[in-house]
Amino acid sequence: MDSIEIGLWVTAGLLVMVLLGMRVAFAAGLAGLAGLIWIFWAKSGYAPDKFTKALVVSVKIAGQVPHSKVSSNALSLIPTFILIGYLAYYAGLTKALFEAAKRWIAWLPGGLAVSTVFATAGFAAVSGASVATAAVFARIAIPEMLKIGYDKRFAAGVVAAAGTLASMIPPSAILVIYAIIVEQDVGKLLLAGFIPGAFSALVYAVLIVGIAVVFRSVGPPVRGFTWRERLVSLPPALPIVFVIVIIIFFVYNPFGGDAWGTPTEGGALGAFVVFCMALWRGMRWTQLKLALLETAKLTAMIFAIIWGVLIYVRFLGFADLPGAFADWITSLHMSPMLILVCILLAYAVLGMFMDAIGMLLLTLPVVYPAVMALNGGEYVSAADATFGMSGPMCAIWFGILVVKMAEFCLITPPIGLNCFVVAGVRPDLSVQDVFRGVTPFFIADGVTIALLVAFPGIVLYLPSLAG
Amino acid sequence: MAGASSVLSDGSLLSRLDHALLKLERALALISGFAVFALMVLAVISVGGRNALNTPLPGYVDWIEQAMPLIAFMGISFVQRDGGHIRMDILIGQLRGRALWLFELISVILILILMLALVWGSWAHFLRSFDLSAPLWSRDSSIDIGLPIWPAKLLAPVAFSVLCLRLLLQIWGFGRAFVLGLENPVAVPLIQDSAAQAAHEAEQLEGRD
Amino acid sequence: ALEWNVSVWGKRRAFTEHVEKLAELVAEKTNGEFTMNVSYGGLSKNKENLDGISIGAFEMAQFCAGYHRDKNRTITVLELPFLGVDNLNEEVAVSHAVYQHPAVKDEMAQWNAKIIMTSPMPQYNIVGTGEPRDTLDKMKGMRVRATGGIGNAFEAIGAVPTSVTATEAYQAMESGVVDTVSFAQHAHLSFGTINKADWWTANLNPGTVNCPVVVNIDAYEALSPENREALDSSIDEAIAHYLANYGELLKKWDQILDEKGVQKVVIADEELAKFRKMAADPIREAWIVDMSAQGIPAQELYDLVMATLEKTRAGN
Ligand code: NA
Ligand code: NA
Repeated sequence: MDSIEIGLWVTAGLLVMVLLGMRVAFAAGLAGLAGLIWIFWAKSGYAPDKFTKALVVSVKIAGQVPHSKVSSNALSLIPTFILIGYLAYYAGLTKALFEAAKRWIAWLPGGLAVSTVFATAGFAAVSGASVATAAVFARIAIPEMLKIGYDKRFAAGVVAAAGTLASMIPPSAILVIYAIIVEQDVGKLLLAGFIPGAFSALVYAVLIVGIAVVFRSVGPPVRGFTWRERLVSLPPALPIVFVIVIIIFFVYNPFGGDAWGTPTEGGALGAFVVFCMALWRGMRWTQLKLALLETAKLTAMIFAIIWGVLIYVRFLGFADLPGAFADWITSLHMSPMLILVCILLAYAVLGMFMDAIGMLLLTLPVVYPAVMALNGGEYVSAADATFGMSGPMCAIWFGILVVKMAEFCLITPPIGLNCFVVAGVRPDLSVQDVFRGVTPFFIADGVTIALLVAFPGIVLYLPSLAG
Repeated sequence: MAGASSVLSDGSLLSRLDHALLKLERALALISGFAVFALMVLAVISVGGRNALNTPLPGYVDWIEQAMPLIAFMGISFVQRDGGHIRMDILIGQLRGRALWLFELISVILILILMLALVWGSWAHFLRSFDLSAPLWSRDSSIDIGLPIWPAKLLAPVAFSVLCLRLLLQIWGFGRAFVLGLENPVAVPLIQDSAAQAAHEAEQLEGRD
Repeated sequence: ALEWNVSVWGKRRAFTEHVEKLAELVAEKTNGEFTMNVSYGGLSKNKENLDGISIGAFEMAQFCAGYHRDKNRTITVLELPFLGVDNLNEEVAVSHAVYQHPAVKDEMAQWNAKIIMTSPMPQYNIVGTGEPRDTLDKMKGMRVRATGGIGNAFEAIGAVPTSVTATEAYQAMESGVVDTVSFAQHAHLSFGTINKADWWTANLNPGTVNCPVVVNIDAYEALSPENREALDSSIDEAIAHYLANYGELLKKWDQILDEKGVQKVVIADEELAKFRKMAADPIREAWIVDMSAQGIPAQELYDLVMATLEKTRAGN
């Protein structure tokens, strides 16, 4: 059996383990280890006395991976981004944002829902986790919407959908993970998330206004805030601006000068700003301890998947499966754009059943090289490329598309986690209610994805400024 | 998808061992949390030092790389205790009683096999960087300021060994549930349905904004 | 048929041409009976290639001494600043002489490794932005990306060596984390630092890094006589190919400087002498004391470098 066949068998085994409910991190690690043993034993012609040697070599290779892959400067962004998110609760940023958004934009048709979307987008700029974002806004925004007569399903749908924005708008752990797996510039990927994230929010807002105009009962506007009330609502939301500015300026300086540092420094400084804000708002030792413990938990969970999957990836390197898959994809007699669309659709289906981070980590090692090959290779110039963009730009574009798919899968049945969370927060809402309420936003997301595919400039504008 | 789940307790030896190990796990996770905090402080010092005093923190990247294993590994067993490691529970979530315990048991045994192998492999990785006869016992050093790497490498087998202990307890717990056909076994994470899980998650955020 | 896995990193470039050539020659000479599968990062992280060799994960690999000085103390002699190596031929000669020293062979054998050739690198001259830093005074407080012995040398004259990896060097330069970057020419090109540069020091020649190619001893000894002959006999040819290829790149270098409008800075002899006195001598002396204390024949290794350098020059 050649190494590619071994690669396919082991990959199939991994999928079975994951489907049967084994924890993704360990299923991947086990598949990788078993695959390595198989490959090394096959190399010695399956001689019975060589099995021990194959086992020892494989165990030692696998045993290198956790330390080797985890001790990375770029990966340090993940824990700092998670910490920012936890501290943001204590900094009181959710309420502040919702108040500000309400006073400034609730006069629109469907105004409170639009305010919710923009407040959530703002909160997304300090939070890396979609689920937490949805949970928080479900408690703040839904009651206010119901008070003025919103349809409860619609209100729940708004929150569930808007909550997904946290994965796209930096800080975003998913974007960092993508960058690490595909070995691209983390800073540029984070920059790239801003516009598509804001763009998604805008598409949501337009949809809501449209619905509110057509069905007058859905969401009446809220008027009567004075300019004074509006202005005083702004200062409490300021830390968000700080964090956005810090992240942007630590990747590139829009005024043409030097950037202020590296993305890892920027992430940590952002956390520091929110930390100070939280202290000022009365966070004390017990809360800090809790935040640190929760950060440690989520971090350990994400890193376990990272190194687990990287053991599997190390095995793939020895099996050369990604190379073979890329060759196969590029040999297909199909238009590259159609292949790309098929890949995105496959993610939509997979995302219905899988967790976003697990899904990306498991598939990217094989899918990413294939997409890059489709575009003409990692070092292709924009002029020679299939999709009309250079290798690194294609990596960013595909990353944003994939993250958008991952967001999409947070609201699709049967396992749209955001919907479960919203239903969990509101005892008066069933999961079916939330799924029904979120349906219009499938269309919004579909439109967004189609536009991002058709106009890559939306994604690539900011990163291309950064050189 | 599988987020937090609940672990039951009683006065049995198994449950007491569970709580004893939990203390250790929580301490390790807290160390990891403080390392994240230190990372933040380190960045402030680095940026401040560079811009205000033109003295960048020597070996900033080396220090981060040393701290990362602390952050990444130390909480792993704490997460496993509550069943917090991500998995797809569409199928396994449908099972009840003995069938469920059998699945959980097999899955935990497989994880133990992997982790024992990784304790061995990561220990070997540590040993290659460790030399009692060398200064600072170092046979592998960081690129910039030459920090010995063995302490960071040692963290992997340490954290993984604690996880192995946890897995042994869970094998005991699930095995017992399977043999005795228990309804609500102690010391193992029980699957919550998605709604309960979401409620739990929301509860955690209660009073934080 | 026998296939060796070879672990290198990055993408195919001047720095890996001898490995590619070696694979090509060996396959040719054995009619495809003995092939090498060169993997760019798929099998190991670059800092762990020696570990991989020691484990037996792959049969051949490339690494740089400066990545992990404690793994390869003996060959760090070749990374001392201002050794006075002027060109790639001299670099090959001194490296290969040092690789033959029993202390080096011993240390490598602890990793189950045998060095078969070097990857000769030119001097790590610096590129920078703004006013050229052509005196020691102007280099005071300069933030420079430099590793190992070269970093120590800059520190000795009051510059501030800063830690960024090669892949982050461009970003670091753009963000002002560093003012200058010390690299070989091919790296200034492939990591894009040349695009940010206003000037390049033509004659600072502060030193270089040493990156050998090693084989796993067990795998090497298990080779059939024909295969081993094919491998051994191809090494000189592979190095010759590398030198010719790098020579072409260096020829183009001046032209690239012109195109990008990068100023070629020549540092005055007295400044260089001052630099050597402040940096080279104390660092070398400290290195010899330190290494000797660990039982490494440091003075002997250094003398070997100097003697080989003289011999090579006399030979030309
Ligand atoms: Na975010
Ligand atoms: Na879903």
